Amino acid sequence: MLRLVAGRIVSSIGTLLFVGLALFALTRSGPGSPARIVLGADATAEQIVQFEQAHGLDRPFLAQYVAWLGDVAHGDFGKSFVTGRDVANEIADALPVTLAIVLFAFLIALVFGIGIGVLAALKPGGAFDRVSRFASVLGLSIPAFWLGIVLIRFLAVDLRLLPPGGYVPLSAGLSLHLQSILMPSLSLAVYYIAVLARMTQASLQETLRGDYVRTARAMGLSSGQVVFYALVNALPPVVNLAALSFGYMFGWALIIEQVFNIPGLSRALLNAISQRDFLLLQGIVFLFTAIFVFANLGADLINRVLDPRQRATA
Amino acid sequence: MGSLLPASLLHAQPNNGKTLTIVLPSNPITIDPINQLNHDAMVLGQTVFENLVEYDVDGVLKPQLAKALPTVSADQKTYTFELRDDVTFHNGKKMTAEDVKYSFDYLLDPANKALRRPIFAKIAKVSVLDPLKVQIELAEPYGQWVYFLTKYMGIFPAGSRKEHGDEYFKQRPAGIGTGFGVFEEWKPNDYISFRKNPNYWRKGLPAWDRLVVKMIPEDATRVAYLLTGQVDIISAPPPREFNRLKTMPNVAGASRPTLGGSLLMFTNNLKAPFDDVNFRKALACATDRKTIADKVYYGLLDPTGGLAPPRGWWYNPEADKEIAFDLERAKQFLAKSKYPNGAEIDISIQAEPYLLDTKDAAIFLQAQLAKIGIKLNLKVYEFSVLIQQIARGEHQMAMQVYMSPGEPTYTIANTVMPGQFLSKSTGYDNAELNALMSAAFAESDQAKLKDIYGKMQMILARDAPIGVLGFVHASNLWRQGVQNFKVNQALTMSVGEVKL
Repeated sequence: MLRLVAGRIVSSIGTLLFVGLALFALTRSGPGSPARIVLGADATAEQIVQFEQAHGLDRPFLAQYVAWLGDVAHGDFGKSFVTGRDVANEIADALPVTLAIVLFAFLIALVFGIGIGVLAALKPGGAFDRVSRFASVLGLSIPAFWLGIVLIRFLAVDLRLLPPGGYVPLSAGLSLHLQSILMPSLSLAVYYIAVLARMTQASLQETLRGDYVRTARAMGLSSGQVVFYALVNALPPVVNLAALSFGYMFGWALIIEQVFNIPGLSRALLNAISQRDFLLLQGIVFLFTAIFVFANLGADLINRVLDPRQRATA
Repeated sequence: MGSLLPASLLHAQPNNGKTLTIVLPSNPITIDPINQLNHDAMVLGQTVFENLVEYDVDGVLKPQLAKALPTVSADQKTYTFELRDDVTFHNGKKMTAEDVKYSFDYLLDPANKALRRPIFAKIAKVSVLDPLKVQIELAEPYGQWVYFLTKYMGIFPAGSRKEHGDEYFKQRPAGIGTGFGVFEEWKPNDYISFRKNPNYWRKGLPAWDRLVVKMIPEDATRVAYLLTGQVDIISAPPPREFNRLKTMPNVAGASRPTLGGSLLMFTNNLKAPFDDVNFRKALACATDRKTIADKVYYGLLDPTGGLAPPRGWWYNPEADKEIAFDLERAKQFLAKSKYPNGAEIDISIQAEPYLLDTKDAAIFLQAQLAKIGIKLNLKVYEFSVLIQQIARGEHQMAMQVYMSPGEPTYTIANTVMPGQFLSKSTGYDNAELNALMSAAFAESDQAKLKDIYGKMQMILARDAPIGVLGFVHASNLWRQGVQNFKVNQALTMSVGEVKL
């Protein structure tokens, strides 16, 4: 088991290294050099050379990459070309905002997705199943940014129940905090509620058809107990999907943050892209990749706990 | 009900006084007027800093820190300003002629790399005549410089740049201005706030206690903030919704033509096919500006092909007529050009809207030019990349809104004359035009100036070195209850006199 976990961690690090390299290549192949953008159009050739030397941009591509990796290994993501602030500090300012929205959205998606999936699986073809299928198709089809705008229109502009945008940190009060993240998180969660509900329903229905479930029923277990055991066995694919969803949510959060005017990682990332702030850009994308990779790793580990067969093969 | 009130605003406004909240569509980079690029963000600098004279919301030149407009010598080279004696900086220090001299000397020293230095570079010497009198000498006549102060300059205390450093002016300029607002806080990506200046020399102003400038890039969200009463005034409302929104309950709105905001097509005259005057004129005559003004900008663009606003006193309708939309003439010009079979052109456009979104206009233009066999390939870049490309002359053709202070010379001098920031945007150099510009700099009589500017527009219509689609309107929406707010012909919101 330990060996397997170690193996997965090593392969995750390999993925991160590869993504880091691809990121380096992509940032440096786009039009517009950071020196020209930071120094302005009338910068002299000498000033540009000076800037590139100061930031190591004159060194060979691979040398830059290796140096950056060395710094990252020591927790140093470098300094922003534009503001001069530590990239780690820039990220530390914006990450809690994005994290609050994504975690709340993830929680909504898990509770409603799995809940709806279980209820629909219990009576296939029933009224709830049919309604949930229709709602799932809607949830999968509605773009999150459009849903966000519609929510703003009805809940904020017409009903005045919630603020139309902005972010209030938890330190300013739980009620205000929740009000500020409810619409963004809901907009983000709807797609994943639908995805998780469909997966839970399909997986649970299949499990409930299993021989051992029939045996359990024949042995006189209550239907609640039967559903619980079946659910535990039905969960591994749902956990995998949830982990993937968690990673994807960070990507979609970029759009949601724009719609709801939230100063999270999306603003920082978009500013970094437009100002060719390579180190900040790399830091943020690297962080997203790490979240994605480790969410998958986490899903594998959870599945090993849920499914004794996976432990046995370890 | 308290807990249901707009949360983000409660957070942004901890005080109970009268807070005026306004919204910008983009994220400012600096507050420092001498390094400001973004015209929306100029409201920040104009809250903190002031100038000897002010080019006001109606396009009228008025004294500001000076007691009156300057006296100008007969050779148009020496300007003498008498200063008000009741002005103090936010740090409590009285403003004197020494501060004015220090501010200009700092701006003009090339070592300080002020982005806006070039437009003031004809200032040769600034002298203190007495504590409240300052004299500015120009190397050659250049009457226009006073119109540029409001947007690109500010007076700060002697020694303050050295004491605080440029970053301080850029991000937290507390205690160093004379304006109606005192810098309070900059929360990146969220808002910038100012307190009322209690010692402001214009007694009774401002009428608010606090000014919060929020940044909201998304159009729909910006409008939602206004409709829910979270903010008082927004800039850059989406054109297609502007007319509907301004008639909504509790909302007011207005627009007015700017005299300096032009939607331009930078055609690189040094690159084919724009190296041929007939080709450039074919393009000018094939452009149906009125359709673009009506269908894309819903009337918030005054269409013209000339490099002067149709509502400006210096506008020459004859020049406009010379390159007006006329498909038959366009075909004739194309037939006479080196490229009678048309051409394929890359047009660079901006990804994120600034002042106006130009992407739809570029698509309309693509369809219009296709009618005479010109194929446009749309290439989308971010502002920071596009402006570099244009400034360095690396583009073939580019479309962008260009904002000037709203007097007749700025746009012409910067885009179709040599030696300026955007000279390479067209690569055009015409001795006759340059001579007329020098004559304009030395003239102060409006009737004579109108004649000179009219001739300049005619040369530009004849050679078509740059494409013009029209002049944009500035527009704002505000909550009912906001008083004394006037849309600024120079686009930047002006909030010093606003009452709630």
